[in-house]
Amino acid sequence: MKKYLYVGKTQVIKSLTYEFNVYGNIVMQTIIMITSAYFWRALYQGRGMVGDVDADSMLTYVVMSSLLSVLLITNVERRIQMSVQKGTVATDLMKPINIFGVYFAEDIGNITALLFQNVLPILFIGSLMIKVPVIADIRDLPLFIISVLVSFLINWLIAALFGMIAFSAVNIDALIQVKKHLLRLLSGSIIPIWFFPPGISRIMESLPFVYIYQLPLSIYIGRGDRTQYLSQMRIQFVWLVILLGAFFFAQSRVTRKVLVQGG
Amino acid sequence: MRKACRELIHYLDVTVHMFKMAVMTVIEYPSNIAGWLISNPLQFIMGFAIIKFVVESFGEINGWNYGQLAFLYGLSVISHALSMIFFVQGWFMGYYVMEGDFDRYLTRPLGVMYQFFFTNINIVGITDLIPGVLVFIYGCVKSGVTVNLLFIVQIIVTLIGATLIRGGIYILLGSTSFHTRSAVDFGQYTQEIMDKTTMYPMSMYPESMQFILTYLIPIGWISFYPAASFLGINSRYAGMMIPFITLAAGVLVMLAAGAYFSMGLRKYESAGN
Repeated sequence: MKKYLYVGKTQVIKSLTYEFNVYGNIVMQTIIMITSAYFWRALYQGRGMVGDVDADSMLTYVVMSSLLSVLLITNVERRIQMSVQKGTVATDLMKPINIFGVYFAEDIGNITALLFQNVLPILFIGSLMIKVPVIADIRDLPLFIISVLVSFLINWLIAALFGMIAFSAVNIDALIQVKKHLLRLLSGSIIPIWFFPPGISRIMESLPFVYIYQLPLSIYIGRGDRTQYLSQMRIQFVWLVILLGAFFFAQSRVTRKVLVQGG
Repeated sequence: MRKACRELIHYLDVTVHMFKMAVMTVIEYPSNIAGWLISNPLQFIMGFAIIKFVVESFGEINGWNYGQLAFLYGLSVISHALSMIFFVQGWFMGYYVMEGDFDRYLTRPLGVMYQFFFTNINIVGITDLIPGVLVFIYGCVKSGVTVNLLFIVQIIVTLIGATLIRGGIYILLGSTSFHTRSAVDFGQYTQEIMDKTTMYPMSMYPESMQFILTYLIPIGWISFYPAASFLGINSRYAGMMIPFITLAAGVLVMLAAGAYFSMGLRKYESAGN
């Protein structure tokens, strides 16, 4: 455990080195957030409730979605691809430490740094320029926090599983893009799926992606009631278990493959 | 004069060879082509589907109906694809600066900026072009524009200008790496901002933002003003001259980007020092 903590700490320090990246990211994400806010404002002009949500809640959704997107940055898929391409994966696997644990610790370290570098500034700017994102019902806060934690794990596991494809395909640039677009469009991070036709949104509710962005955000803006949240969180949890199983299965497969090839 | 001519022919000759090489590099990894062939069209088809869902939930978007939005979206995606083919390197400039890859370009008897963009022509960008053209044709049919020779010429001029605007912006952003010496991957962010501002009518944003996007960062000229004028939708600017304004804006942005690039290059020191 101590080893992984150390890896995480190193990553925090690494992230603090490049100052310009921090400002660049904040500026870019702020622009995206503000454009989205105007986008929804223009759409809602002269309309009350669309899809059971009013304009005000939608603005909260935008701000919170921007914050969440910072917390859901993963680097594991690129790390796996790089170590497979450069061949360092063989020596990495020989070290007395689980490499996936290292990647996880690195991502956690990165996010810890981002929490202060990006989340807080964006929250501040968003509150100032768009609206203060207040949770609809404070009693739902524990549910929100739990669902965010689970969604973080689901997101990381999906990224890691995609990354493991690199063990056989070597170059997964295209696949990383596929994953990125799937996630962006199917998770409700840009447009919530309740605006989609009922048939399509029902299909999407059976996929894991909506439980990454849309579920925590719905709880936050109070779209639905507690029984709905709980039943959806149950599905979210089932997805976590399925993905964990898939992850450990794939992990043992790919490491065995590398060990066999390495002789 | 003759010397300049000979140089131009030399550059064209090199470009043809580079292009051939780029095609061969792509063919080398067939599984990767398959991946891009799925991923890129998928992205735009889904993006387009989302516009449809939004229109169905909200009705028209700022007075633009579905067919007109398809026209705008298609125009935007085509210029995006073209800029991806020629200028995507701008997104990764930081990595080149950090790893000292400009050294190799500096020692060769060709313009550095030319080499940087043309040794890495991104043939894969063609996979973006296909959905763009499809949606654009769909938009033309749905919105009922009259397609004649003049229209085609205007569209081509618009696309050249729009590609230059996009490319220039990528180069400008990428060239900041010379000064900051860090690799910020602005690609995804730029793309997201461009998506929001070129695929939806710009008139839905407040006046101040429209002003910035018209005069300071001429993103509005990529697709919004041209599409509005082709479709006869009321906007600040309309008329026959729009495509040429787009072209002029593109050339201006490109010139500024070139100047900033050379300025940065003077500051560049190789990785060894």
